Amino acid sequence: MLSREADSCFWIGRYVERAEATARMLDVHYHATLEGVPGMLEWESVLAIADCAADFRKRHDQLNERTAIQYFVFDTDNPGSIVSALTYARENARSIREMVASEIWECLNMIYLELKEWDVDKALAGTPHAFFTKIKNAAHLFHGITYRTQLLNETRDWLRVGTFLERADQTVRLLDVKYHDLLPATRAGKPEIGGLGVGGPADIHGWIAVLRSVSAFEMYRKTHREGIHPAGVVDFLVLNPIFPASVRYSIGQTEEALRRVSGTSPSSPATCDPERLVGRLRAELNYARADEIIVGGLHEYLQSVQKRCTEIGGSITKTYLSYQ
Amino acid sequence: MWPKIRYCVGKWAVNVSLLETYEPGIFYDELMLPSGKPRAHSRALAEHLDAMSPTEFAQRARLAETLMMQQGITFNVYGAEGGVERAFPFDLVPRVLTAGEWETIEKGLTQRLTALNLFLWDIYHEQKILKDGVVPRALVMGAVHFRREFMGADPPGGVYVHICGTDLIRDTDGKFYVLEDNLRTPSGVSYMLENRAILARVMPQLFQDMGVRPIADYTSHLLHNLRALAPAHRSDDPTVVLLTPGVYNSAYYEHSYLAQQLGIPLVEGRDLIVEENIVSMKTTHGLKRVDVIYRRVDDDFLDPLIFRPDSQLGVAGLVNAYRAGNVALANSIGTGVADDKVIYAYVPEIIKYYLDQEVILPNVETYPAFEDKHREYILDNLDKLVVKAANESGGYGMLMGPQASLSEREVFAELVKANPRNYIAQPLIHLSRAPAFVEPGHFEGRHIDLRPFALCDRDLRVTIVPGGLTRVALRKGSYVVNSSQGGGSKDTWVLGKESRNA
Repeated sequence: MLSREADSCFWIGRYVERAEATARMLDVHYHATLEGVPGMLEWESVLAIADCAADFRKRHDQLNERTAIQYFVFDTDNPGSIVSALTYARENARSIREMVASEIWECLNMIYLELKEWDVDKALAGTPHAFFTKIKNAAHLFHGITYRTQLLNETRDWLRVGTFLERADQTVRLLDVKYHDLLPATRAGKPEIGGLGVGGPADIHGWIAVLRSVSAFEMYRKTHREGIHPAGVVDFLVLNPIFPASVRYSIGQTEEALRRVSGTSPSSPATCDPERLVGRLRAELNYARADEIIVGGLHEYLQSVQKRCTEIGGSITKTYLSYQ
Repeated sequence: MWPKIRYCVGKWAVNVSLLETYEPGIFYDELMLPSGKPRAHSRALAEHLDAMSPTEFAQRARLAETLMMQQGITFNVYGAEGGVERAFPFDLVPRVLTAGEWETIEKGLTQRLTALNLFLWDIYHEQKILKDGVVPRALVMGAVHFRREFMGADPPGGVYVHICGTDLIRDTDGKFYVLEDNLRTPSGVSYMLENRAILARVMPQLFQDMGVRPIADYTSHLLHNLRALAPAHRSDDPTVVLLTPGVYNSAYYEHSYLAQQLGIPLVEGRDLIVEENIVSMKTTHGLKRVDVIYRRVDDDFLDPLIFRPDSQLGVAGLVNAYRAGNVALANSIGTGVADDKVIYAYVPEIIKYYLDQEVILPNVETYPAFEDKHREYILDNLDKLVVKAANESGGYGMLMGPQASLSEREVFAELVKANPRNYIAQPLIHLSRAPAFVEPGHFEGRHIDLRPFALCDRDLRVTIVPGGLTRVALRKGSYVVNSSQGGGSKDTWVLGKESRNA
């Protein structure tokens, strides 16, 4: 397929995933704050996850649910907002609509048109949850339609490469910031909230929110019967081989899609840089242990994974997407 | 005549049928006779329309618009912040042609396209028609779209125009006339196909008992013809692509629609590269050779080495690859000379010269200002004539004499005197009308034209699917049907011979 088209598919995958991840994060955050655990789930951490605190401060004096939702959902000047991501996804789909099943384009076009009818007032006036569900469902519809209608060809592989690389990246970011927020031992200088330490109700509440934000809470329960604790959450979100949003699973899927593109089996040696980089990361995730990661410094570990995801993206672009 | 439908306006219940208040007017009306009765072939359609309440009709019109928005069959209205997307206006009342009318159109267009292809071959080779003085040499050699660089080049089969969209109109006498030929990159066929698909979804009842001939095989003919253009040694499984200027082009929707329906890659200039006269596209698996290009990029932008050097839309080296016979282009380079509005005036002579036949579909009476006697007539009668520049389209560069002010006519008089080669004049044609649905709930007559889409294969065989794009001047009283000037479109029905209505 044309490099330009592969590039569009890759970015459609990334943008849809980004929009969905942002909607999930805001949804959980909004509702967790309603349940009133002061200081536990501050909007600040949402800014940190998206790495855009400075940009936000330039536009808004106050950080509250209204300004946060305006910025993360509707602000077209914020390239990471849901509206921006879905607009880019739709523009990319428009430029390759002959490559994908019509339903895929129509699904992205319809959520784009629908979002134009909304603003922050309307989203807050009704139930914000219904609004966020709409975004999440649009992403589900996109994946479902793709699964059901798109040929198992390179178009679909590039959509998957984008989707899973972005998903790995989003899960890492979320965990990194929340871990920092939630683990009292790392909260140097911050007062203990309500005297609740690790394992206390507030802490548990926070971790549940983290798991919920990636729709992982129930699946976590089935996997970690011993209960909710930081090493368990790290194990589940980073290393679980069969949870669809874990970093390990996402990187595995990225590698498999890249292997299908090049036509080489997953067990044969890497044929290019992206395969080498993604394969190495996958192998490390395959053999890592959550408690070792925490002892060695979770933040540093997650930072390094995030950096490598960026590197993989760059290498994919260089090798396949920008024809020289 | 038909059962009246009860419906409510405000608190009053009234008896009105949708067609009862319709006025055919002094124009040729496609649906109605001057008496206000439907034409015989449209009776079943009129009954179906009349059985519908205005409210119901309006609901279906909105459904059609929603479908178009969902599918992204839209165009941008500039000016508003960020641009507003609107559905391409689509009027739900179909325009109906009888089998007999269609037969004339089909024969006439086939004759015309055949002759124009022979003309193009001739003027890029021996130029016999110029030597015999049938068409003035200066007109051809001075045409903006004559491609000197392309003299002596041999397109596959000697065919220049593979895809043609000729605009037809009907005058008050009910006869069809050719308004202009579009031989470069004619657009609109996607709307013809989509209009049918959408009408069938929102008004399935209308189609009952009508015997409408299908048009869906257009893309099969097109793909077949394009594949056959590939160089002989590449003909087993040639790579055919559609070349678009990109997502900002106003016809981009059509380009992507056609690429999708044909199952071929949609490429931009930056996706292609020419090395040693071979055209390839840049894929994730390296370069892949391209054999046939359905190009929707104008000559001027096709190859910066030959034509405009500042163009980013084309591919450097494409013209030489074409001349070397390594890639085929549809349409060929240089076809624009034959749809120049001045050359148009000579098409009946061109048909006579190459085919020894009388023209089946006549031209609108045309006065080229190039000829002295015509120029004088034009300048004396600007208030009665429509004056057009040779190479403008979309309703631009035009004077509607009868509706223009004195100062506008004076401006055009100077333009014509300064560059007579560039202008023609025609009497104002009172385009036929068809009913269009007007909110809140009745039909009014609106002027229409027709663009059927003809395909020509490398053996000069012409195929035309029965139908075309009927464009409507939706603004009351307007004669300008271009979408850039507030025009919309209708589904075009050609009835089968066996139809009881034909």
